[in-house]
Amino acid sequence: MPKSDLTERLNVVARSPFELYFEGEATALSATNRIGDFDILPGHADFFSMLEPGEIIVTPTEGEPVKIDTKSGIITVRDNQVLLFVNM
Amino acid sequence: MRRPGVIEKDMTGIGTLKDLTSVFESLASTQVAKVKSKVQMSKQFFDLLWQRYTSLRVDPKRRITERPGVGDNGRKVLVLISAEAGLSGDLDMRMIESMQSEYDPATTDIVVLGSHGASQLSQRGIPYIKFFQLPETDQYIDVSPVIQTVLPYEKITVYYEEYLSLGQQEVRSINLVTHIQQMSEGANEDVMTDNDTIFEPSLDEIADEMEASMMSLALSQTILQSGLAQAASRFNAMTVAEDRAGELLGEYKLEFHRSKRAESDRRLREVLVGIKKKRRERSGT
Repeated sequence: MPKSDLTERLNVVARSPFELYFEGEATALSATNRIGDFDILPGHADFFSMLEPGEIIVTPTEGEPVKIDTKSGIITVRDNQVLLFVNM
Repeated sequence: MRRPGVIEKDMTGIGTLKDLTSVFESLASTQVAKVKSKVQMSKQFFDLLWQRYTSLRVDPKRRITERPGVGDNGRKVLVLISAEAGLSGDLDMRMIESMQSEYDPATTDIVVLGSHGASQLSQRGIPYIKFFQLPETDQYIDVSPVIQTVLPYEKITVYYEEYLSLGQQEVRSINLVTHIQQMSEGANEDVMTDNDTIFEPSLDEIADEMEASMMSLALSQTILQSGLAQAASRFNAMTVAEDRAGELLGEYKLEFHRSKRAESDRRLREVLVGIKKKRRERSGT
């Protein structure tokens, strides 16, 4: 299994149709899907999942973690690009 | 000619009306700016979502067209997105007139969003099968009840009002399904497959969820567009009303001054007649 490069960063865009919650670099992201809680770190495999209602926590490279309350959503991860579509 | 006191009273009334329309005009202008930014955000969101959807190995045209629940009765549904209240000019009336060319009671049902459109339909004696209050556009638009109602129909046509500019709004109609399909044209995203991507819970469930979301988003966008057009139409109606009130105020001012002048002339005439009478009495004639 390839090891995660510590210099890698996630590029995260988290938005609902009418609100941009977060856009920028992050070191980690935590959310919940039907299987349970999960974390996305840099170098994560390509991933496509429906989200369960709950809280998403984005840990940016700088500053405090950003918490997003979500009723529904979809997360996609591809080459460290994370797109979060929430509250659709 | 009316008396100056009466005209002055009317002038005060018109002045208040002018101030009120000016306030409504400012409110409508603020609303236009607010909704306009929401329309843009919603479109960006849809584009991003669509981009990701097209990366799934599903044929979007086939899936959305052959969505579950489609009946085989050949009936179609017209969805009218009108204003929640009046004061939005003649847009809703124009939309209903435009819709009537496509409306055949034998094959068509009508679903209406917004109280104003519902009352306009009732006044014309056009029946509708369901009425929904316009969702609150300041926040999350939950159009799922509308989607649930229209999904069983073979053809879904949405009539809405489109904002072109502050001075121009047009009535538009779209086939909801075709509209979503057309949005896919030009999409060129790399395919994500089971071989290189983890899907949770499954590719099909995710595709279904995304399709339902996109259908809702497409409808939400037409609601936003209508809201924007109505706000602009309201702005125009208020501008016209304010201008008219200003003109009336000018006319009343002129009438007031004429009336005042006429009154002072009448008094002067009375005084002159009185003086003449006194002179005649003094000269003893």
